[in-house]
Order: sequence, then structure tokens, then C-alpha cells
Amino acid sequence: MIYKIQATSQGHFTRVQHYLLYSARQKPHGEFNKARWLYFGCSQLLVHTVRMPDSTYGRSDSYRVATTQDKADRSPKKKKGGTKDMDDLKKEVPITEHKMSIEEVCRKFNTDIVQGLTNAKAAEYLIRDGPNALTPPPTTPEWVKFCRQLFGGFSILLWTGAILCFLAYAIQAATEDEPAGDNLYLGIVLTAVVVITGCFSYFQEAKSSKIMESFKNMVPQQALVIREGEKVTINAEEVVGGDLIEVKGGDRIPADIRVVSAHGCKVDNSSLTGESEPQSRSPDCTHDNPLETRNVAFFSTNCVEGTARGIVICTGDRTVMGRIATLTSGLETGKTPIAKEIEHFIHIITGVAVFLGVTFFILAIILGYSWLEAVIFLIGIIVANVPEGLLATVTVCLTLTAKRMAKKNCLVKNLEAVETLGSTSTICSDKTGTLTQNRMTVAHMWFDNQIHEADTTEDQSGASFDKSSVTWLSLARVAGLCNRAQFKAGQDSLPILKRDVAGDASESALLKCIELSCGSVRAMRDRNKKVAEIPFNSTNKYQLSVHETEDPNDNRYLLVMKGAPERILDRCTTILVQGKEQPMDEELKEAFQNAYMELGGLGERVLGFCHVLLPEDQYPKGFAFDTEDVNFQTDNLCFVGLMSMIDPPRAAVPDAVIMVTGDHPITAKAIAKGVGIISEGNETVEDIAARLNIPVSQVNPRDAKACVVHGTDLKDLSQDQMDDILRNHTEIVFARTSPQQKLIIVEGCQRLGAIVAVTGDGVNDSPALKKADIGVAMGISGSDVSKQAADMILLDDNFASIVTGVEEGRLIFDNLKKSIAYTLTSNIPEITPFLFFIIVNIPLPLGTITILCIDLGTDMVPAISLAYETAESDIMKRQPRNPARDKLVNERLISIAYGQIGMIQALGGFFAYFVILAENGFLPSRLVGIRLNWDDRSTNDLEDSYGQQWTYEQRKIVEFTCHTAFFVSIVVVQWADVIICKTRRNSVFQQGMRNKILIFGLFEETALAAFLSYCPGMDVALRMYPLKPSWWFCAFPYSFLIFVYDEIRKLLLRRNPGGWVERETYY
Amino acid sequence: LRKGSSSEWRDAFWNPRTHELLGRTASSWGLILLFYLVFYLFLAGMFVLTMYIMLLTLDDYKPTWQDRLATPGMMIHPKGDQLEITFSVSETESWDRFTQTLNTFLSPYNDSYQVQMNDNCPPDQFFIQEDSGEVRNNPKRSCQFNRSMLEECAGISDRFYGYSRGQPCVLIKLNRVIGMLPGKNGQSPYVTCGAKREDGDKLGPLAYYPPNGTFNLMYYPYYGKKAQVNYTQPLVAVKFLNASVNTDINVECKINSNTLEAGSERDKFAGRVSFKLRINHT
Repeated sequence: MIYKIQATSQGHFTRVQHYLLYSARQKPHGEFNKARWLYFGCSQLLVHTVRMPDSTYGRSDSYRVATTQDKADRSPKKKKGGTKDMDDLKKEVPITEHKMSIEEVCRKFNTDIVQGLTNAKAAEYLIRDGPNALTPPPTTPEWVKFCRQLFGGFSILLWTGAILCFLAYAIQAATEDEPAGDNLYLGIVLTAVVVITGCFSYFQEAKSSKIMESFKNMVPQQALVIREGEKVTINAEEVVGGDLIEVKGGDRIPADIRVVSAHGCKVDNSSLTGESEPQSRSPDCTHDNPLETRNVAFFSTNCVEGTARGIVICTGDRTVMGRIATLTSGLETGKTPIAKEIEHFIHIITGVAVFLGVTFFILAIILGYSWLEAVIFLIGIIVANVPEGLLATVTVCLTLTAKRMAKKNCLVKNLEAVETLGSTSTICSDKTGTLTQNRMTVAHMWFDNQIHEADTTEDQSGASFDKSSVTWLSLARVAGLCNRAQFKAGQDSLPILKRDVAGDASESALLKCIELSCGSVRAMRDRNKKVAEIPFNSTNKYQLSVHETEDPNDNRYLLVMKGAPERILDRCTTILVQGKEQPMDEELKEAFQNAYMELGGLGERVLGFCHVLLPEDQYPKGFAFDTEDVNFQTDNLCFVGLMSMIDPPRAAVPDAVIMVTGDHPITAKAIAKGVGIISEGNETVEDIAARLNIPVSQVNPRDAKACVVHGTDLKDLSQDQMDDILRNHTEIVFARTSPQQKLIIVEGCQRLGAIVAVTGDGVNDSPALKKADIGVAMGISGSDVSKQAADMILLDDNFASIVTGVEEGRLIFDNLKKSIAYTLTSNIPEITPFLFFIIVNIPLPLGTITILCIDLGTDMVPAISLAYETAESDIMKRQPRNPARDKLVNERLISIAYGQIGMIQALGGFFAYFVILAENGFLPSRLVGIRLNWDDRSTNDLEDSYGQQWTYEQRKIVEFTCHTAFFVSIVVVQWADVIICKTRRNSVFQQGMRNKILIFGLFEETALAAFLSYCPGMDVALRMYPLKPSWWFCAFPYSFLIFVYDEIRKLLLRRNPGGWVERETYY
Repeated sequence: LRKGSSSEWRDAFWNPRTHELLGRTASSWGLILLFYLVFYLFLAGMFVLTMYIMLLTLDDYKPTWQDRLATPGMMIHPKGDQLEITFSVSETESWDRFTQTLNTFLSPYNDSYQVQMNDNCPPDQFFIQEDSGEVRNNPKRSCQFNRSMLEECAGISDRFYGYSRGQPCVLIKLNRVIGMLPGKNGQSPYVTCGAKREDGDKLGPLAYYPPNGTFNLMYYPYYGKKAQVNYTQPLVAVKFLNASVNTDINVECKINSNTLEAGSERDKFAGRVSFKLRINHT
């Protein structure tokens, strides 16, 4: 399904119930029941997927509608770009063998229906066609991966900076006798930063891919083939076209085969078509479409039960599965949203840098500098704009988030994909679990002709009914006994609601409810020994078990049953009211119906419960209950009550929904309605037509918010029509979609500017997974192909992790903004000294080394610590960001960082600079225009404002002390900056200072600054000098001003939402 | 498509429909520029205020810190080009500029001027002029340093300072540092010059003026240019009597004092001065 993530709407679940209520009134009974069962079945399916990933058996209870498809799928009309090969792969399967008779197939492959291939022929085919294995996707050589890390995205900016530095140094070296080494050092440092960060992210991703490798299935597969009349087990890789093959329940089918004979054979095609149900196979061609017909079984699908024999028609990459895998590995994927954002950021930074550079280049020329000097200045200014530390900061922030997600079993293969889920506006998934919390709980009960609210509090404080009621005790007994779920061992200390349960969702819900209200269910089960049991199945739609009674003197057996309420009711002749068994009359049936509908109307899954004490004369002690061939009474039971459960919808889960599934349209639509994907108020075109009793063609498609599209219709849609559907319907169901069509849907959504996440586990999902902005695969149940194609893997198959991913992604996006705002701010106090050096000819206030100490030293930890900042508001209630408007770095951020806070910081630094020079004898008035003499090595009697004379080295020490003081001042103003960057809207007093890493960062940067200033030897190593204590306080007023200014700004921002302050300064 | 994108660019610059220049309307530009104007005026005000407060804390006569000037620097005159004094004895124009700068430099040292402006102080003792508490003893007097004290290098008897004869004079001065007392026990600091490294034998005999190359103690302490307006910096002249010709000679002169610390290894001009001398003679 495609979920458009929007603000949480608790409302949509109720809408579902209204729909159900409505449909129950409008439609004959049967329909309604089907719908209910669909819901039930669908959730069961989910449970199975989550709890028993390898089992594909239990999905037997959903309702299936056979549709007839007249036309075989053909290629989608147009596909831009791509090679001919890719276009060919995007077409549907070209298999024709299913329409041939068995003899024709045999003739085609020179094989025999009884004897199979001769060994010689098989060997010949094997040489001709190659082994029956999927070609692994071409692996990128390690050095290419490494280079990608080295030259991708942000690194380019730093490389450019480094090259410019070397260029400037070359110019200086060519024109001056003793060129200043600054540009050379800066170039080297920039190169080092890029290389180190590149290595870091390379190893980070290499670690993820190592985990990936462990997924690879190492066990070679076997296949049973008949060659020259003998059954031999060979390696599946050696199977060739024309081989006669036998498969039985539990086998994985080794190649695409044309079935020639079958006995009760069912295959699970879910990984290929997405159909949740095992499908029977037989030799007859039932459909033109090879994917639909029953006489073809596909490579790597599972045979669930029965046996079949067939002729191999395709092997290896030519199989349906192989084509999908090849298509997947051939797909080009676009840039991740964060990569686009960083690109945009680089554009802005480059723009600012070039603007500043050119402006001051012109100024320098006007001021009479030589061309070469002006060019050096130009390069210097451009390079000074490069935030050296940001690449490392961003990488570390993303890594931290990736680690945090890995802890929650969310493995991110590509670092940049960490953020993508947060930007996701559309999730495509065929799993309803993404919608709900997957935490089924009992919500209501109906007994004694009354609806009671279930008490789900741990201390049972919310009891709303009399717990001593005989009916309730009976109901609890049935719910506890007729229940296969049990608590996993060793959780006695945990609160009941938090314990893990082995069993399906609704049974777990019942178990917890009974455990909470009636005490240990295990004890109850021990007292009532189970003697027989019929588990739930789709034909009965009930579950029953037979127990001994608690009373040792009572030798009767107790039969308990639960299931679909109407089915249970059909089997009951009496009903328990106030502890008394009463005949089921029309009045009580009516009451039951009302209760059922009311509970169903609340969108809850309703189960009916009944029991009976089997008469001792017919079923004496030791009676052999046969559950296969039911030899005991399963009707004339006594109805006890209803219990209804709800799986609460998740916060931040979609309101407007599209669904992409391999299921049939009717099934898909029913499921969609069942879980609220199509909500109550919204009708499809067909619904409107039915309601108004007019032909479908007369309905204005714009009236229908919801829409069900058959996969095969997709090929008839032009691109515009497709866009139209996606744009104009909020709730869309795509049913019966092939892998290729899923791909088209993803491409369609992306064309409309959506950032698309796809979840999937099957091979059929992998092209879409690859194409999506972020593909999420299942770690346990997912196929290797899907895991290869995905960017993120849910190691425990738990859908809750996706929500974690969304949350973490949004948080890291916000925090990266803060981090960048923080880092960029110090750019201004770093650039302005150089500008004033050029324009006013003062001694340089801040040198290259000190700039690097800030960017790569003191700024690092605080910038990274902002990644640990908690969200300011409920980020999950927010709309997903609009990638066109909501940029990581926008002009407002630049305006704040450069234009406002950065300027205050620069003043703080300059103040410290002037203080030191003045206290040493150079008053500001003396400084202006002093540069040439100041930097002249042979002038060793430079006069200060007091008439004293200075040697070159003496005044340079003062200058470097100024650099140190300027550096320390930046650290001081950055204290305030990191505190104001903690929040974008809230006051720091609302947000608090709970970020321990940030507090550590504050101390760390201060300690580092003190170390750099006072450590002996620093004067030689980095030319940093000890400061007088008073010089530390120069920037304090400016630091304070930053804090006060920004608090006032944020106050105005909160006071006037949408006001001028927000429009101009909210980044 | 290209047409569309170019008109997009034009729109981004000036959008005639919305009257937006670079994405902003006139009023929007006005507001933001006004904001920045006010904001920067405020910042400028704040900066001026803090600077003003800082300047108030400064002493007019003595800088707050002098720790970087513990060892005073030394400098030569004429400075030459990057401290290289190169000339040909026979080519007048090659040393003409040296004699001219020396003339200019020494004009305030003319005896007549010195006698008129400055005191004739008792030699070999500091000329201390204390302030009495808050009352400044200003302006402070200075001691005479007469040009004639440089004798051969005064440019009086030989107006070419020996350059015309291959016996150049180089003036050496000790940087002014407020309050510095460069000697004790009546012993004045004096300058000695020598050749560096292998140039030892090229240097030949030297003559120092005033005798022994001393900076007499009476010229110290220096009270700063505000309090001691007419301060005359003492000089030592070094005359190279018979330096080797047609070769580079690296000369280092240093101050010898019983109070001044030796300068750090890094500072080549603290308490010493190095220069290169080359006399060409055909």
C-alpha cells in the first residue's frame, strides 16, 4: 500500500467502522461477513509474517475472488531512457509454454515425458545455457566504492578548496621569495580532511555490507530430476531446460517449470506476485497470462503441499525471477534526498563564496593591489568560506543515527539513506502492519446483553463491570482455554502488558486481557487439561478445544470454541445470560446483531465465544476425540459473549492512502477498507456509480477520492493519466500489480515530486525497492534479491522500525540544520579578519592555523552534539517536509548565521583583537594602514602609539597572541551559539539543557582552547600564545548578546506564527 | 525547454508579474534592508561602546603590557635594501642614497638644534624624572645627543660618511622601550660588531663612535612620546676601516649590557642586528 504520511488522524479508524456499519446495512449479510473476515485474515497474515517468517502456510483464511483477465500483460507504453535490454526486461514475461500441449513442450526441449532428458542432452544444454543460477548483480569494485566516498557530494567542495589553495601557493611561490606557507598547509589539511572522512564513511558502509553478506544463503539447493528414466538428486545449478523435475511439499522449485502432473500441489507465489495464498497447480492451462495460469510453477517459489512433476522451461536468468533480479540490478537510482540537500547547500555556499570573493577582488583592484595579489585574495576568500569541519560533522551525525537505528534492528546500508525515511511523503507497502501499532488489545466485550469496556490497566483500576458475573467467568474461561498463545518464559518480573507472547496477535490480546483480569492463564489451563484441539482454519473459521473440567468429580468434558461471531452464533442454540442458560430467541439474536454491529462499527475485530459441557453419557471419560474426522458435537452450543480487539493506529500514520498489492482488486479493496486505507467518506468511481445507480462512465472521476486500479490497466494509462490518478485521488489501491508495474507506480510518484519509500520482502518488490528513494527490506523473511536492492533492512522484520526510521530521519534532518547553522556561523568571524586585513590594512586578526583549530577542533564536538538534541515538538505530528520548499539550508539560515549571529561573533573577536593590540601599545588608530610595515621582516623598529619600537618578531608574537585571543573569543561566542542552535523555535528554557554530550562539548571546546593557548611548545608548533586571563572575557558581552538576541527572536517567532520574524528568520 | 529555463532565470531576477526583484517585492526588500540597517547600527553602537570602555582603561603614558619588549630590538641606519648595504666605491650614485638618508636622519641631531631643545645631562647615570603621584611632571626633559659625538661618522668632516673611500659608517640604534633601564652600576651598554661564520677575517678593524660604542645611561629611561616629546634616541656609529672588497660580509652587532636579557633564538633583532655588507671596488 502506499501511505501518504500525514499528520496523525485518529479519526480514520472510526471512519472505517462507519463504513463497515454502513456496508452491513446496505449489503446482504454475507458481504459484510466477508469484509470482517478479510480484516481478520489480513491481520493474521501479518502476524504470520512477523512471527513465523519462513512460514507461508498459515495464510489460508483470506477471501479470494477469482477474476478473469482477458489480456496478458504487455509492456508499459513508454519508458524513457534505458538501454534496449532494460526496456525488454521491463516488459512482461514472454513465456508461451503454458499454452502448448505437453507433447509440444517435450518436442521443443527434446525431452521425454517419462524418461526425462538423456544425460548427454542435459550436459549439452548445460554448456549451451549455463548453470541454473542467478547471475549475481555486478559488484562494484572496492576502489570504486572508495572513490565514490572520496569524491562524492560535499567532498567536491573541499577538493575544490584544496586545489585553489595549492594554486594560490603556486602563484605565491612563483612570485615571492619567501611565500607564506599558509595556503600550502590549508591545502594539505583540506586534502587530509577529505581523505580521512572518506575512509571513515567507506569503512562505515563496508561494515554494513559485511552484515549483508552474512545473509547470503550458503546451503546449495538440491533438485530431484528424472534423467534417462532414473530419479537423481542433483545440484539445482545443474538443472537445464527440458529436465523432468519432481517437487513435493516443502521444496523450493528449482526452475520455471511447466507442470505435467500434480497431486494436490500448492505453491506459494507470494515472493513473486505478492499473493498471500498458496495456489494450486495442475497441468491445465487456465489463463493466458503465464503468471496467472496454473500449469506453470516458478523458480525459487515454494511448493507448500502435494507433489508435482514438470518440465523445466527456463533456467537461471531467463526465469521470471531471474528477469526481475536482472531488472533490479540494472536500475539507476536517483540521489538520496540528503544528497540533493547537500548539493543545494553547496550551491548556496559557493554562491556566497564567489560573491564575496569577486566583490573583494574588485575592491582590492580599486585599492591598488596588483592583479596577482588580488587573485590570491580572491582564492583566499573563496577557500575561507569552505566549512572544513562540516563534512566530518555531517558524516559523524549520520553515522550516529545509523548506529542508533541499527540498535533498533534497522540496518542502513547507505549512510545517506538514514535521513530519507524522515523526508518520505509516500510509503509503498503491501503490509498493513505499517499502519498500526501491531499491538492488538482487547477493547470491548459483550455479555449479559451489555457492552462492557475492557480494562487494560495493569492494576485493574478501570473495571467497568462486575468481575464476579458467572457469564464473565465463563467468557474468560473460554477465552483463556481456547487459545494457543502463551507468554514466553522468564518474563515474570515484567508487567503483563509488556511481556512477549508466542502466538498470533488476537490470541495474544485475549491472553493478556484474561491474565490481567483473572490471574494466571497457565494455572487455568493446568486445571483444565486440554484433550483435543482443532486449530483455526479458513474453512471452519473457528477454533475449538476440549478440556477436562476443573471439578475432579465432574467427568464431563468442556468444549470451548471461538471464531467469527456469526459462525459461532449459527452453532449455538442457547445463550448464557446472567449465568443462566437461555434459549436463543429472536430477541436475543437481535441484541447480538446490534452488539456485533456496534463493535464492528468501532472498527474492532470481533470474536464470538461459546462453550458446552459435553454430556457424560455420550462422551465418557477417556473418549477418543478425533479432530480430523470430527466425532463429537460442534453445534447446539451455548453462546457466551463477544470480545472485540483493536490494533491501535500508529502515530504519524497515513491518512490518505494508496495500496500496491499483488492481490486481486476485490480482495485488495476490501482489505483497504478494512484497515482504513479507503476511509468511510470516500468512495471509488464504482461505488458512486452503484450508489447513484448510473453507469461508471457517467461518474465524474474527480468526485471519487478513492480509486482502485487494476495492475493490467496501468499499461493502458498514459503518463499523464497516471499522474492524474496519483494527484487527484488521496486513496488509491493498485491491485494485481506485477513487479514492473510496481516500478511504474514508484516512478509515477517520484515524478510528482514525492519521496517514496517502498517496503517489501519478495523478489517482486525488488525493482520498486531499488527505484524508490528508500527501499526497506525484511531481514528475516526477505529474499536476498530484495535485500540487495534495499537501502535499509529491518533485521527483525518489525514494521515498528519503519516508524523509528521516520522519527530518526526527521530528527536528524532537524539536527543537521542546527549543526550546520552552528558551524556556518563561525565562518563570518573567520572571514571578516581577512577582509579587514585587505581593506583597512590592519595586521591580520586571525590566521589560517587558528581558523583550522576552530573548524576542525573546537567546533567539532559541539556541532556533533547537536545530533543528540531531542526534538522540539512532536515531529511525528508534522507534515512530511516538502523537498521543493523545505531545504536543509535555506537563505534564512544563511541570513541568521552569516548576517546576524556571525556578525556579532566577528565583533567579539575583533574586540579581543583590539584590546590586545591596544594594551600592548598599538591603539586602533595606529593600526589602520600599518600592514605593509607590519609584515616587513626588515623593519625592526616599527613605532607604536607610545613611541616604543618593535622588532618584526616581537610584533608578530603580539599578532599571534591576537590570533589566539580571536580564536578563544570565537570559542566563547560559540558557547552561546551552540545553546541557541539547540532550538529553532522553542526557548532554551523550554528545551532544557539535558543534552549531556552538548554540555560535554562546551567543556571540551573550552579545555581544548585553553590547552592550545597555554600548553608549552604551542608557540613553536601552532604559533599560539598564552593569553592574559582578562583577555578571555573580551567576548563575554558579545556571547551574552547572542543569547539574548536569539531568545528575543524566538520569542517573537512563537508569539507571531507566520509573522515577519518567522518568514525571515525561521530556518 | 531552454527557452523556459532562461525565462525562469529572468523571472528569478525580475518577475514583472509580482514585481519581485530577486524573489522579493520592493516592500519586502525595504523591510529586510531596514532591519539590517538598524541591526548593524545597533551592533556598531555596541562595538563602539565596548571599545570606548576599553580605551578608558588604558594609561596615556605607558602601555598596559610590555612583556614582549623585555629585550629591546636593534636596528641599523641606513637600512639598505632588506638590510643589505651594497655599493661600489667608484660609482657615486650607488652610495649616494645612503649618505642622503644619513643626512636626513641626522639632521635632528645637529648640535645647534640639540643645544636649543635638550639638556646637557650628567653622563653615566639615569636621567630619572618621576611623577609625584597624580601630578604629572610633564613635559619631561631629554638629554642632548650631538651629531658631533659621532666624530668621523657625523658627516661633518667627511660628508660622505666614508662611503666614498670604502670605509662606510653604519649607525646602530637601540629600540625605544618605555621605562627600560639598560644597565646598572653606572655601566652603559655598548655595541660590539663581528662577522658571522667564515666571514671573520674579511671584516677588518672597526671604529666605534662615541668611544667604545656606548649608549650612555643618561638617555634612559624613555618616558614615551607623549611625555617626552623631544627625546633624542642615542646612536652608535660603526666604521668599517678595512673591510674586504668584492665580497659579502655578514655582520652582526649586539648590545652588551648587564641588565638586558639575551633575546630569544627566534628573534634575530632582539638585542642584536644582522646585516650584509658588500663593498665593490674595481
